[in-house]
Amino acid sequence: MLPQVLKTSDLGAWVEALMAESRVAAPVLKETNVSDPTDLKFGWQYVPDPADVRLDYTVTVLGPKKFLWPPRQKLVRYNLGAGAEPEAIIDHEPHVLLGVHPCDITAIATLDAAFAKDVPDPHYLARRSDTAIIGLDCGAPCDESSFCLDMGSLYPESGFDVMLTPLGDAYFVEVATQLGEALVEAAVVRPATKQDMEAHQAFAEEKRSDFHYKLPYELKYLPEILDASYDSLVWEAIARQCFSCGSCNIACPTCYCFDVYDEVEVDLSKGCRVRRYDSCQLDPFAEVAGGENFRQERASRLRHRMFRKGKYILEQTGRVGCVGCGRCERACVAGISIKDTYVQIAGSR
Amino acid sequence: MADKPTLAFFSLACCEGCQLQVLACEEKLLPILEKADIVRFREASDGDADHYDVTFVEGSIVTAHDLERIKEIRAKTDTLVALGACATIAGVNAVKNFQDPDDVAAYVYGDKKEWFPHIAARPLKAEVPVDVEIHGCPINSDEFLEVVTCLLMGKPYRQPNYPVCVDCKLAGNVCLWNKGIPCLGVVTRAGCAPLMCPSAGHKCIGCRGLVDNPNTQAAKDVMAEFGLTVDDVLREFRLFQGIYDEVAKEA
Repeated sequence: MLPQVLKTSDLGAWVEALMAESRVAAPVLKETNVSDPTDLKFGWQYVPDPADVRLDYTVTVLGPKKFLWPPRQKLVRYNLGAGAEPEAIIDHEPHVLLGVHPCDITAIATLDAAFAKDVPDPHYLARRSDTAIIGLDCGAPCDESSFCLDMGSLYPESGFDVMLTPLGDAYFVEVATQLGEALVEAAVVRPATKQDMEAHQAFAEEKRSDFHYKLPYELKYLPEILDASYDSLVWEAIARQCFSCGSCNIACPTCYCFDVYDEVEVDLSKGCRVRRYDSCQLDPFAEVAGGENFRQERASRLRHRMFRKGKYILEQTGRVGCVGCGRCERACVAGISIKDTYVQIAGSR
Repeated sequence: MADKPTLAFFSLACCEGCQLQVLACEEKLLPILEKADIVRFREASDGDADHYDVTFVEGSIVTAHDLERIKEIRAKTDTLVALGACATIAGVNAVKNFQDPDDVAAYVYGDKKEWFPHIAARPLKAEVPVDVEIHGCPINSDEFLEVVTCLLMGKPYRQPNYPVCVDCKLAGNVCLWNKGIPCLGVVTRAGCAPLMCPSAGHKCIGCRGLVDNPNTQAAKDVMAEFGLTVDDVLREFRLFQGIYDEVAKEA
């Protein structure tokens, strides 16, 4: 399908049409900083009203990951005693993620690879297969924390059904899949003219000039640079500031570790096996039966995260473990920055 | 545990709000009553027994009399559960530990202060072994039910050992620090979700005590960078997290 154009004023009607078919999640305004009214805080939510959709958003605390993999997810329900009858809970319904930035599109591709490898995860994959993704291109970096250009997540070639490019009072609409074509059929669009295409190219050129590399080396060297830094004193130094609060992992769009536990009704008749997001920065994360903890030191946990994001996930899934979205840095009360850390270790031997 | 275990509730120095949180479980208490006998519960009924399978004790030890009582209770109890911040970390009672004991007594009892001798406030574990802790001011009713479920199943209850930040991020909250409000969630044990203070826009004041192995030095550094003085920082930490270990030694 050739590119189309959607007037900004017709966006609401499109969202309404999409909402008639399935749930639609999008960024909305959560709150405004009391001391700075220009500092808007956005969050991903299922949209209550099309007018609430804010495609002018920059960053969110949590990414759209939570719709594919809820922070707390019931996996199995069972009875206690004889006739346990465990029953898997595969809970999904069609939904649309509207306005996903390139970094999060790339992050979802990492999650797809992680949850499909070894024993495929039916809970994630069922929700994923019922998910339509409408991307939203970025013309400028969100803020100082983002380094998506470095991490190769700024120009995703797939992983979305539709891509929107904001062109002032209209969106340039590109369809990438059959599902995307069906989504766009619900919108009032017109075919892109030569002028629209020129405007789209101008956006692309401006985008290229607005993003700058922040690491002093190419992404392909990161795993080796990490390797060389393993015994560096830098980990101990950064860990002195680290609370091990887990905020970095919880906010990360590619983290996929979870903890599994049981929730039993107080009458002891039945229960559920549940999983929730876990964090490798937490003290008990690497604790095993018998009480042994093989990453008891704060510094070893911090180094582990930096290695996961820059090396291990890439090696295991073939996809980047860090998309450079900057959420972990923004979420860190101590101001620990994965970007600055990757800069700092550049000279390690 | 016997076929139908006996449960008891006691209060030391506190507001008894944690017992009210137990009663607030309402109809969810009924399945417990089918499986266990509550033999002592001042907020709900009369009665007593010679031995308790599980005893829930709220409140801090603040008098010599409290000290005797907790030792008696411990002697009659198989599993002792400390209920709420006053019992687990001495709670707000410990604020007085950082003031002159005479001044404190005079402030509360005036010229009758000699009638009410008191000792430094301390949590139960400073004096007797405690088997399970349910933190919070007040406790979270859901956590109480979870602990009871574990006890009835004979399985250990593992209290959350991660900071409030985890649940706060999961709720999608914008960090209060990012809004210029210092919050103790970074070092405070979680377990209060979904009713946690930051979700309502209030800073965490640490009522569930410190997580194991907290980086309190980093917390103080960050607060100092925020422009808070040492006194401000200590005040933040002392509201709920009085240094009971040192206090206990002094007794």
